[in-house]
Amino acid sequence: MAIVNLQNVTYKYPLTESLALNNINLQVNEGEFVAIVGPNGAGKSTLCYTLAGFVPHFFKGELTGMVEVAGVESQKSKLHEWVLNVGLAFQNPFNQISGAKYTVYEELAFGLENIGIPRDEIKIRVEDAMSLTGIRDLADRSPYSLSGGQQQRVALTSILVMQPKVLVLDEPTSQMDPIGTREVFGVIRQMAHRGLTVILVEHKVEWIANFADRVVALKDGSILLEGTPSEVLTSDLLAENGFGISRYTSVARKAKAQGLWKKERLPVTLDEAVEGFALTPGPSPEGRGE
Amino acid sequence: MHERLSFYVHRESFLHHLNPLTKLTLVLGLILVAFMAPFYWTPHFLILFAIIPLGFLGRVAYQYFNAALKLILPAAGFLFIMQALFQPFEGQELFRFYFLHPTLESVMFAFSNATRIIVMVSSFTLLLLTTHPSELMSDLTRRGLPPQFAYVIISTLQILPQMQAKAQTIIAAQRSRGLDTDGSFVKRVGALVPLVGPLVFGSLVEVEERAIAIEARGFTSTHPKTSLREIPDSNLDRIIRWFLVVIVIVTVGLKIWLS
Amino acid sequence: MEITISNLQFSYPAGVHALRGISLEINSGEQVAIVGQNGAGKTTLVKHFNGLLQPTSGSVLIGDWDTTKYSVSKLARRVGYVFQNPDEQLFCKTVGEEVAFGPKNLGYDKARVESLAKDALAMTELSEKTETNPYDLSATWRKMVALASIIAMDTDIVIFDEPTTGQDAVNVARIAHVVKTLRERGKTVITITHDIDFCAENFERVIALSQGKVLLDGQANDVLGQEEILATTYVDPPQLTRLGKRLGFKQTVRNQEEFLTALKG
Ligand SMILES: Nc1ncnc2c1ncn2[C@@H]1O[C@H](COP(=O)(O)OP(=O)(O)OP(=O)(O)O)[C@@H](O)[C@H]1O
Ligand SMILES: Nc1ncnc2c1ncn2[C@@H]1O[C@H](COP(=O)(O)OP(=O)(O)OP(=O)(O)O)[C@@H](O)[C@H]1O
Ligand SMILES: [Mg+2]
Ligand SMILES: [Mg+2]
Repeated sequence: MAIVNLQNVTYKYPLTESLALNNINLQVNEGEFVAIVGPNGAGKSTLCYTLAGFVPHFFKGELTGMVEVAGVESQKSKLHEWVLNVGLAFQNPFNQISGAKYTVYEELAFGLENIGIPRDEIKIRVEDAMSLTGIRDLADRSPYSLSGGQQQRVALTSILVMQPKVLVLDEPTSQMDPIGTREVFGVIRQMAHRGLTVILVEHKVEWIANFADRVVALKDGSILLEGTPSEVLTSDLLAENGFGISRYTSVARKAKAQGLWKKERLPVTLDEAVEGFALTPGPSPEGRGE
Repeated sequence: MHERLSFYVHRESFLHHLNPLTKLTLVLGLILVAFMAPFYWTPHFLILFAIIPLGFLGRVAYQYFNAALKLILPAAGFLFIMQALFQPFEGQELFRFYFLHPTLESVMFAFSNATRIIVMVSSFTLLLLTTHPSELMSDLTRRGLPPQFAYVIISTLQILPQMQAKAQTIIAAQRSRGLDTDGSFVKRVGALVPLVGPLVFGSLVEVEERAIAIEARGFTSTHPKTSLREIPDSNLDRIIRWFLVVIVIVTVGLKIWLS
Repeated sequence: MEITISNLQFSYPAGVHALRGISLEINSGEQVAIVGQNGAGKTTLVKHFNGLLQPTSGSVLIGDWDTTKYSVSKLARRVGYVFQNPDEQLFCKTVGEEVAFGPKNLGYDKARVESLAKDALAMTELSEKTETNPYDLSATWRKMVALASIIAMDTDIVIFDEPTTGQDAVNVARIAHVVKTLRERGKTVITITHDIDFCAENFERVIALSQGKVLLDGQANDVLGQEEILATTYVDPPQLTRLGKRLGFKQTVRNQEEFLTALKG
């Protein structure tokens, strides 16, 4: 059963001419991990706002079509009820601090206090989530005196603790170090296995390919392609439309043109690339690079 | 850059351990008595025998005197001069300087008013110095104040330190691009001009982004809120609150009776 | 203009000991990437280059200027710093004003200010947006405005703090082009980045920081090949380097040309 259901969703920001979202149809199942890719201005963040109810409850403008999560339509719901089901980590990590709290620990508890979680459970949830995102040692620091990546981890954790049914993450690792990024993807993957539905905007295609179930490619407010990571991320259409692609894919595409890539499908992940290039005839691997 | 976002100073003290509502009652009580008491010297008496001792009791005397010297006294002084010179009171003229002719009455009036203002601002300062804002917010919402309202109070309390942090950020950005803000007084004042616009505008943008961000974390949720911190509310708190209420009633009664 | 850092230590007033003894020499015209885990001290380090932070001990020299003896606004003649968070940097009403702000303050004549601003706007493809308020642009474009406003100052040293975050492939290529143009003009470019592929493709020297210290410093190929050491500061080698390793290539490869050459044997 689809927990997220968008039908013919079209949206225009107030005072603008062009459509930020143009006839989007998207169904996401419970426990599914869907990645959204697209160039700047494609409408990725707008889609996130729509899923999280900020369009139309916060950003006015013209929304048509149907946005449904867990059987409830967003237009008919109140924002404060909606956010209990759908949690959103915003693209800009620098402006997500509540400003009402003095330590990272209290900052993480803020949302839970708001929705009336008992004190003992707040502590359990906050401490568990801090371990997941690797910020236990920041607990007593001021949320304002953190490095960029640390702020982003706090922002992400502040949404994880809320334990929504659907998690919408708008470039949650943009400020994070490479291995930290991989770990966060791993954590999100595990949570999806346990039934959390995840919709994530990302430019880092290698990790999408390793962890996501499905990829949606967005361009100019419309869905250009949709399918398994391997199908979508190796498509020629992506390269032609200014999408980010993995280095494995682009080097294999070049190699293919020179007859050095033998498989039909291009690789997106390291393992696929290793497997494919192993088929390349030529000097034995030991002899290469002399 | 944004090290301190409020006036709160963390200490273990009698004042810190009082319930936020008790402290708020104390503040309102002090203000009401200062403004309503029918005796001329009441506000002066309050400063000496309530405000200053409370500063020591809360172990924030240093911070309090600092704020008093830099902010409260200059503001009160300004108010005093303006009122002393421009209040058109009949009476014994002290001197005449062009169109200014302050009277003894106007000076007395201005002096008393300025002291009342000092009591008011000082008691709020003491509240801010000794009360964790989120404790104040949780306690008030727990007692039924709508959370939006509580948030407005908290944000207002934080606005000064926040503007200060924002101003520092902008100054750093401007100096990084060669704007010379050291040097002569004129230059420094001149450097303030390009600060005002971005300060106001930047703060507005931040307010909007923050509004969405806290909304995403259930801020306007209608569930009864809980609180991470245990907020003290002892019998002593209740006794103090009732005691303050009685004092205010007595003051009002005296005022009505004596007038 | 070279940068000489000796024994630099720095603690934030709140008590975080962010830099724990850094000594570095960066030569005129070098292109350096700084990598390392979140909180390693990268931003803290570069904020010392234009005097926004002052050493707790040790020293930072920009050419012959000791940063403790020159004000931030003086140092702005030599060092341009693009902040990690563009919102901390932008304050003008239009993109055009924003970009002209720096060169104007540095006292260049009107014609030079205009030509520098025009050049910076063209390089970042913002020429169409000069009348726009930076806050009406998306965060990704605001980052470009921040970048343009520093390039326009025409300083010998330019520092970018995570310029590619949130940028799509086209914009990343544009930033790479900016770096290349600055190199051709003889500028020193220092870039902090987590985008290790971008780092591999555009920088000759790589410095890896870890917990306030220099972990590795050297030629990109040497540094980026050291998988185990890099992992201690949460950095993965570039994709093609990892691939080359798995395929058993003898030397470290870091871009497509090197990879294809090695593949052919
Ligand atoms: N608040 C707003 N008001 C008006 N137009 C907006 C607003 N926010 C975004 N837009 C416009 O809507 C379109 C989609 O923007 P959106 O931010 O969703 O793109 P995105 O894919 O998230 O881009 P990026 O990769 O830069 O984050 C863009 O043309 C943008 O200019
Ligand atoms: N204003 C501040 N006050 C106190 N501590 C700070 C402040 N800014 C940063 N720190 C701390 O100093 C250390 C180094 O921070 P810095 O910002 O230099 O890291 P970074 O390497 O740039 O990380 P990132 O990749 O996440 O941006 C971190 O532990 C951080 O929490
Ligand atoms: Mg976006
Ligand atoms: Mg940083």
